[in-house]
Amino acid sequence: MTRGTEQPTDEELVAAVLGGDQERFGDLIERYQARLVNYLFRLLRNADDAHDLAQEVLVKVYQVLDRYDPQYKFSTWLFRVAQNAAIDQIRRRRLKVVSLRQEDDEGENRDWDLPSPERGPYGDMRNRERGGAIQEAIDTLPWEYRELILLRHFGELPYEEIAKMKQMPLGTVKNKLFRGRQMLKEKLQDFLSD
Amino acid sequence: MSRPDHNTYREWLTLDADGMLDGGERALLDDHLASCADCRKERDETLALDALLQRSALPVRADFRESVMSALPTAGWEARSPRAWRFTAAVIVLLGALAAALMSAGSAPASSGLGTLAAVGGMLQAAVVAGAGLLGASWKGLGMVIDKVIASPVSLGAFGFLVLCLNLFLVSLIRRKRPVGAAARSRIGSKL
Repeated sequence: MTRGTEQPTDEELVAAVLGGDQERFGDLIERYQARLVNYLFRLLRNADDAHDLAQEVLVKVYQVLDRYDPQYKFSTWLFRVAQNAAIDQIRRRRLKVVSLRQEDDEGENRDWDLPSPERGPYGDMRNRERGGAIQEAIDTLPWEYRELILLRHFGELPYEEIAKMKQMPLGTVKNKLFRGRQMLKEKLQDFLSD
Repeated sequence: MSRPDHNTYREWLTLDADGMLDGGERALLDDHLASCADCRKERDETLALDALLQRSALPVRADFRESVMSALPTAGWEARSPRAWRFTAAVIVLLGALAAALMSAGSAPASSGLGTLAAVGGMLQAAVVAGAGLLGASWKGLGMVIDKVIASPVSLGAFGFLVLCLNLFLVSLIRRKRPVGAAARSRIGSKL
C-alpha cells in the first residue's frame, strides 16, 4: 500500500475491495464517476440515462471484480465495459439520431444545457446553443474518430490506454485524435472565441 | 534531430496540449511557434477547443456514489474473500470454545485440560457415527422404495409416466423465451 499522502492506486483499491473492504469501492466510484457519466452522456445524449447506465456499469464491474487482471489498467477495463454497455443500450433502444436543434425547437430533452456563469436570457440562449453545437459536432464525427475523442476528452484516458483498449498502434491513436480535433475545431469555430 | 515539416508541427500542437511531447520536441515546437503565426493561431484554437469541451461537462448527481454503493449486490467472490472466511472461522472457534466450556463444567476439576479435549473428541465421534447411521438408513429406505416400484407393472408404469412428465416440464422451461431485459443484461455480463 502507498505511504503518506499518496493516493492508493486503482489496483490497490481493487485489492482492498477483494480483501473485504467494500468501502474502498466507493473511492473508485468517486475517482471515476465524473469521467464515466460524461463519457456515457456524450454517447447516450441524455443525463438520466448516462447516470443510470454508469451505475449499472459500476455494479457489473463490482460483481466481477475478482476477474480483473491487474496487468491492465482498471480505467481501461472500466471504459471498455462502459462502451460495450452503451452500445448495447443504443442498439436496444434504437436511439434515434435526430437533430438536436430540432429537439430544442420542440422544447424537449434539454440535457445539453450546460452549467455556465453566463446569466440572463442572452447568456442562457448562448449556453444552450453552445451545448447543442458541441453535441451535434461530436455526433457527426465518424465513429472511428468519435470514440477516440470521447475516450480522450470525456473519459480522460491517456493515449497509451486508448491504444491498448482499441488495440491500435499508438501512432494511429495520435493521428486519429489529431484529425478528430481538427474536425471539431471546424464545426465549433463560432464558439472557440467565447 | 532534423527539423520537422509544418504539418508535423500542427500534429505536435495537439500532442503538446495532451502533454505527449518530450523535452526536445517541445523545444523545437516553441522555436517554430515563435516564427509561425498560423501555428500560434492553431495552438490557441486547440486550447480553446479543450476548454470548451471541459466547460461542457455534465455535473454528476450529488448522491451518485451513495446510490451505487447501496445498489451493490452480494458478488459471488465475496463468499470467497478472506473476511467472509474469517467470520465463519471465528464463529466455529467460538462455538467450539462454548461447547468445551460446557463439557468441562460438568466434569471433574482434575481432568480439566485433556479431559475437555477427550470430551470434544467423543462428541465429534458421536456426531460422525450418528451421521453415518442416518446415511445408511436413507440408502436402505431408497432401496426399499425402488423394490416396491419395480415389484408391480402398475407402479412401474406410474413411475415411468412421472419421469416423462418431469422431462417435458424441464424441456418447456428450457425452451421458454427469456424477457428482453434479461437477455440484454446477460449480454452485458458476457462482455465483462
